[in-house]
Amino acid sequence: MDYILSGLIQALELLFQGDPETFSAVKTTVLASSLSVAASMAIGTPVGFWLGYVPFPGRRPARVVVDTLLSLPTVVIGLLCYAFMTHRGPLGDWGLLFTLPGMAVGQTILGLPIVIAMTATAVESLDQRLKQTLITLGADRRQILLTSLWEARFSLALAGAAAYGRIVSEVGISMMIGGNIKWHTRTITTAIALETGKGQFATGIALGLILMTVALLVNLAMTGLKRMSGT
Amino acid sequence: MMEPMYLLENVRQIYGGRTVLDVERLEIQAHTITGVIGPNGSGKSTLMRILAFVEKPTSGRVSFQGLPWAQADLATRRHMAMLSQEPYLLKRSVQANVAYGLKIRGISDTPARVAEALKQVGLDPERFARRSWRELSGGEAQRVALAARLVVRPNVLLLDEPTASVDRKNSDLIQRAALDARNRSGTTLIIISHQLEWLQEVSDHILSMNYGHLVRVQ
Repeated sequence: MDYILSGLIQALELLFQGDPETFSAVKTTVLASSLSVAASMAIGTPVGFWLGYVPFPGRRPARVVVDTLLSLPTVVIGLLCYAFMTHRGPLGDWGLLFTLPGMAVGQTILGLPIVIAMTATAVESLDQRLKQTLITLGADRRQILLTSLWEARFSLALAGAAAYGRIVSEVGISMMIGGNIKWHTRTITTAIALETGKGQFATGIALGLILMTVALLVNLAMTGLKRMSGT
Repeated sequence: MMEPMYLLENVRQIYGGRTVLDVERLEIQAHTITGVIGPNGSGKSTLMRILAFVEKPTSGRVSFQGLPWAQADLATRRHMAMLSQEPYLLKRSVQANVAYGLKIRGISDTPARVAEALKQVGLDPERFARRSWRELSGGEAQRVALAARLVVRPNVLLLDEPTASVDRKNSDLIQRAALDARNRSGTTLIIISHQLEWLQEVSDHILSMNYGHLVRVQ
């Protein structure tokens, strides 16, 4: 038990002293996950809206595929991205492997099904009276679409928060695509895995505490958003 | 002779093989008040949705100021506004809800028009404009929804049982505001209501419906 307790004390010291290695991992994590959540929202929101709003043939199977992708393992995404980004792969010339943008691409694939599925559900749950109200108030198609999205804004933000929570805590993609390179692509989760393997519990616990804080903030945001969206 | 505001000829609406509306001929003149009565399921609301250009009839001819349904564009649709029994308020403030119709029409001078519309439905703009949609009672929400229609000064206002789920005080205020719109700007009113006494008092014509048919026109 002693080594856990002393690890915790050392962890707090590292955090309060502003240990550069620890904060480099935090910075990389925040950068990569913010980039990937932004991309997931930019692509996933219109796709999710289309899936939830527009009746088209094959809508139900498409929804099943998206729901299935929710449980896609991060190592599988990592493996696929690696195969595409390695110098022999089709995207090899882009030089994405072992870079922060490369990690963000993989994490976007992880976040996309979450954003698409939750946006589709949010749009499907919109009050049936909304469309008729907007038509009778004189809205055109574009205004109906934008107003409907705005009406679902809290649910859409909830989708973003859920995607962020999943992305920030993943290891597989960061490890395989980022390569866990110190000062460069080392994230909180890959650093925890490495430091624990080396027996450096203090750094691992310090990073774990930050990750828990991030998770707590995401959870608080989600609780607030759920209350605001009335779900 | 003046062209009627609405002309319906051989209009039928069929849902899943069941005819819910079958109107041989109906004319509604401009600047009049038309009351619509009938039991539940008699086709009143379907008729309203067709008149509001929300639903296209299965067959027949509907024209608005001489313009056929198929040729009615957004500008034509914007001449009319409809209020249902349980209207939907946008998840915004009262001010934003009432101003929505003006905003999408690109009309400035919003605050003054919103204040005027709120006063018309008996709501004090100072007290209500900044309130959230959550902070309204059922009757207040109904009046805000009516203000959101009145603010665009429609040529036709379709009211589908606007007072069915509100108390007496709110019901009186809604009725007064609707009549005020007609008196002020000559708005054509088409009102579905179970308050026959009131309809008889204010309407120029009363349509009685049953099983999708117009059974009587007074």
